[in-house]
Amino acid sequence: MTGAELVVKLLTEHGVHSVFGYPGGAIMPIYDALYQSPVKHYLCRHEQGGGFSAIGYARASGNTGVCLATSGPGATNLITALADALLDSVPVVAITGQVSQAVAGTDAFQEVDVLGMSLTCTKHSFYVRDVADLAETLREAFALAQSGRPGPVLVDIPKDVQLAQVDYRPEPLRAVASVAGSLQFSAEIAAARALLTQAKQPMAYIGGGVHMADALAELQTFLATTGMPSVTTLKAMGSVAKNNPLYLGMLGMHGTQGANLAVQQADLLVCLGARFDDRVTGNLKKFAPNAKVIHIDIDPAEINKLRLADVAMLGDLKQLLPALTLPLHCADWQAQCAGLKQQYGWRYDHPGERIYAPLLLKQLSDHLPDNAVVSCDVGQHQMWVAQHMRFNSPRNHLSSGGLGTMGFGLPAAIGAKVSRPQDLSVLVTGDGSFMMNVQELATIKRFRLPVKIIVLDNQRLGMVKQWQQLFFAGRYSETDLSDNPDFVSLAAAFAIPGHSISRKEEVAPALDAMFSWPGPYLLHVRIDETDNVWPLVPPGAANQDMMTDLPQWEE
Amino acid sequence: MMTQTSTQQHTLSIQTRHEAVVVERLLQVTRYRGFTLAGLELKPLADFSGLLITLSVVSDKPISLLLNQLNKLYDVQHLELHASSTAALRA
Repeated sequence: MTGAELVVKLLTEHGVHSVFGYPGGAIMPIYDALYQSPVKHYLCRHEQGGGFSAIGYARASGNTGVCLATSGPGATNLITALADALLDSVPVVAITGQVSQAVAGTDAFQEVDVLGMSLTCTKHSFYVRDVADLAETLREAFALAQSGRPGPVLVDIPKDVQLAQVDYRPEPLRAVASVAGSLQFSAEIAAARALLTQAKQPMAYIGGGVHMADALAELQTFLATTGMPSVTTLKAMGSVAKNNPLYLGMLGMHGTQGANLAVQQADLLVCLGARFDDRVTGNLKKFAPNAKVIHIDIDPAEINKLRLADVAMLGDLKQLLPALTLPLHCADWQAQCAGLKQQYGWRYDHPGERIYAPLLLKQLSDHLPDNAVVSCDVGQHQMWVAQHMRFNSPRNHLSSGGLGTMGFGLPAAIGAKVSRPQDLSVLVTGDGSFMMNVQELATIKRFRLPVKIIVLDNQRLGMVKQWQQLFFAGRYSETDLSDNPDFVSLAAAFAIPGHSISRKEEVAPALDAMFSWPGPYLLHVRIDETDNVWPLVPPGAANQDMMTDLPQWEE
Repeated sequence: MMTQTSTQQHTLSIQTRHEAVVVERLLQVTRYRGFTLAGLELKPLADFSGLLITLSVVSDKPISLLLNQLNKLYDVQHLELHASSTAALRA
């Protein structure tokens, strides 16, 4: 067989039934091999859309997402998605065609140094010089994408390698590298248990690493047995059972007041698969100032990177959490946290007839079945989703966390629908973000994917505008989007029905109409451009110093 | 974060796979993580299966931050901190 046919064979060997991509000259042999193959190719309308769809596929399912692109601009268009996957630890294998080696390095047509570009935005990248190395390289790429801290791996394959003849030799699937040393932590476990026993105000700070370690069940047992209050990062939303009374929500810049105030008062922070990101900590020197830290992570580079741990364990949370699961005695602290949660609960009694996005999202959250996957973009709507919607699994909340990539949502919702066809896929987006990969409506149309799209339209680049209002003296530089297209007509151009609403009383019937429609649907929601995301920890401030509304001088 | 204010020079011995891009990877990580290159030597192993690299860097950041990142690289097979000393700063 050819190298290209071997690529497709190895995809099937790894259980890959769906891939996302866009063809072009240097990857034509692989697309020829895909033709009438058992691997279904989803033609996206931009390589970045293909990359984000692969991420959505991976995040919603836990399986490795695969995307394809040609050399040159095809590969450069993938770069943003690869960076997104790297920062959010998503297992993705990207396969790019490259110009033939006979012309490599000559500035050939659509030639760019993809391997060089990939250095900063992949976990690892390969350039395949010899077709004899192709199978080994792809097998290693799939293992590497899932092993340890997952991430994107790129395989750049010159066209001559795709066309060369090679024999296929089946192999058992390569084991994902196991975590060494988890059971060698007897001293650290003893030290951690001692800290837990001594703590009067312990707090679990839960990150995306917990569900990636498949340790959600162990987490619930840990929280229930210890009685420890908890907070989560953006990526870990859905990790804690909805009915846990001591779960305080998301912490950080737009976290809940209860979460931030409680973390600042904690005397022990149990950091599980999180990384003290600046959006979480605010002013790092003032973050949880009185807390000792137990830090468990699978990535050695995260230990002591930003906050020195009193006890650190590098290993598998699924194995380590049970070793820390012991009853604690912190009734006063529990009552204090429950009080904070109650005192700072969300209010939805927004005056007036206009639609209040947080209330709409709460209504949406109450409306959705537990298996719905909600993707979102980046900006104010993203933070409102995190604040006002509840999820029963992190796989049901797809949000670009580390890179914060506008344009993520629509293709991610497509990938989620492909990976979990039986489950509802909902996109909540903003008018700015939606336009960044709007071409993917064509992908929805082509494959008749019943993705439900809610566009929260304030005719502004809302989060930037909010910061201009607060920190740049109201100088609204380039954040006016009042010349947006008619989004319902735009959807109609892709044979997607839609409806536009602007009053609170229209929300419930509009949601009913959208979810009773069997196919894709776009609900356009006009919201007030003066509505902002609160609370907000200003840059440089400690997390207890949240702004909860505009300062007087702004009013 | 571990605090360390004085600028130090560190010398690392690194054994890697013999891949064309491996030196670029090392240098990219070194730069991105805030370490300045102060010296670089490399030679292939006798059987050409890998490279032996001596990397000297200067930074006021704890060297552990760089060691942890370099150790994660797929191509790095062995890494050892050879020496650390207070760097002589140019006037």
